[in-house]
Amino acid sequence: MSVAAGFRADVLATPAEIVAEIKPGATVGIGGLMNTCHPMPLVRELIRQGIGDLHVVGLASGLEVDMLIAAGLVQRVSTPTVSAETIQAIAPAFRRAAQAGEIEVWECDEGMIYAALQAAAQRVSFAPWPVGMGASYPEVNDGMELIESPYTGRPVIAIRAIPVDFAFIHCARSDPFGNIQVNGGGFGDRAMARAARRVFATVDRLVGNHEIRRDPQSTAIPGVDAVVHAPYGSHPFASPGHYIHDEAHLREYLAAGNALLRDNDRGPVEAYFDRWVRGPESHFDYLEAVGIAQVCGLDEGLHYHDLALVPGEAE
Amino acid sequence: MSTTMERGYAIDELRACVISRDFVDGERVFLGANVNIGRAAVLLAHRLRGPNMKIMLGLSWTNMVDERSVGLHPDSTDFRDARWAECYVNLDTMINSYRFFSTTFVISALQVDRFGNSNLIGLGDSHKTPRLRGPGAIGSVSSTAYCDRFYITPPRHVKEIFVERCDFISSVGWHQGGATARTDLGLPGGGPRFCVTPLCVFDFEDETKAMRLRSVHPGHTVDEVIENTGFEVIVPDEVPETEPPRPEELELLRKSIDTRGLLREGR
Repeated sequence: MSVAAGFRADVLATPAEIVAEIKPGATVGIGGLMNTCHPMPLVRELIRQGIGDLHVVGLASGLEVDMLIAAGLVQRVSTPTVSAETIQAIAPAFRRAAQAGEIEVWECDEGMIYAALQAAAQRVSFAPWPVGMGASYPEVNDGMELIESPYTGRPVIAIRAIPVDFAFIHCARSDPFGNIQVNGGGFGDRAMARAARRVFATVDRLVGNHEIRRDPQSTAIPGVDAVVHAPYGSHPFASPGHYIHDEAHLREYLAAGNALLRDNDRGPVEAYFDRWVRGPESHFDYLEAVGIAQVCGLDEGLHYHDLALVPGEAE
Repeated sequence: MSTTMERGYAIDELRACVISRDFVDGERVFLGANVNIGRAAVLLAHRLRGPNMKIMLGLSWTNMVDERSVGLHPDSTDFRDARWAECYVNLDTMINSYRFFSTTFVISALQVDRFGNSNLIGLGDSHKTPRLRGPGAIGSVSSTAYCDRFYITPPRHVKEIFVERCDFISSVGWHQGGATARTDLGLPGGGPRFCVTPLCVFDFEDETKAMRLRSVHPGHTVDEVIENTGFEVIVPDEVPETEPPRPEELELLRKSIDTRGLLREGR
């Protein structure tokens, strides 16, 4: 963007501009949690540009990381799970690649990944975590040494820092200057952002700076490096306060991933990528491919009482 | 084996009731990912005898004792379940929080051994090329370590799950046994309390902390438990029958908490 002298510069960018910064072998953190809140225009752009050998860091990853694995772009994952939760507990490409030894898995739980990110944020080499002794974690991982507290002599695990080169997050809204606001708790995205050298966000709504100033208490991250205007940017996953996940679409991807897992057949995954990733040239082309009625039909307010029984209908 | 229709309840409904009856008022409880038995157990206790419980639901803290019909969504991240929020949960600060950790937790497992050590990592000899890559621990290592007590609910009761030795251990129970096993390791928290299977309830014997048969579900036998368990079970002289779901428990489960019938589907 060009800005006249004396004016505040916005940080708006396209996915292509952001991903042009990412080099093969980078450590890329992806925010959100399982079926909710992933920065999909950036994930799809990574696949489009084929940026490989990635170390992907997640806070309890969903199928967005599975797609990167299915595309052959991941060398290592550090995340407490790769899961579509109740839709399918173990993501298919993750399961296949881990079983085949094609990816390294840094085994951890949420406490451990947050310790690793906190150490990175503090620019120290490790953080202690008093849990995991007696379990397999120190044995199957590098970066989890059992040490003694210098103060009590009690054992703790020294969790090695995971410095994140680029954090990709999806959020409810931002102004053009990257002041990020969330609906709900924001998962662990703040921790991911604190550990990262560069932070990029896709946002459902781009609002004026005055709207941020009206409610500064809701600002979760006071200035990311770039913002992508991406309504429904977490689709097919949910975005709190905006829309629920698109279960049929997630199942379409899972069917393709399961063909890769069970039959070693790449055809369906490639067909999924052709249709949903390589085909649409922009995020707005992607939304047109999904269809306006389909995508707007996911709005949260339409689905609040899907599961509540109407009195009298109970058996 | 009797069916849900003949019994009048699904086995996972019974499992939720058993765990629910062990909860007390005033507890604060995380609802973990993908363990419907645990979610139902917590809400059942909250509604029946825990008006002062605090529940972490939809990544928010809430008290919903006055809600008539909850209609719980299956995923732990579903923001629709945060509509009763008193406080939104920011996960990195919640985990680093002495005061606000869960008092209890419910987990599932790919494998569990006699001391209640369990595995969500995978199956096989090598972590680099496991025979089955598991889902991973999500938050269960820290949650089961810090909480006062936890419950294990494996999906089936077979020798492949109830094993002499887990291929990997994600949540530590009583490690290699003995009442001081956890403090010797330096672990905080109180350890596993019950393992509630589709056949029976195990607790842990005071001295050895090995699994002991506490009750057998209606329609099942002690021999069936022994035959389907891959390690030696401590069997007391008298083994009572597990109390089946009470009418008020079943009504609340079906009309208010598990309206989608996930427990009846065994999900």
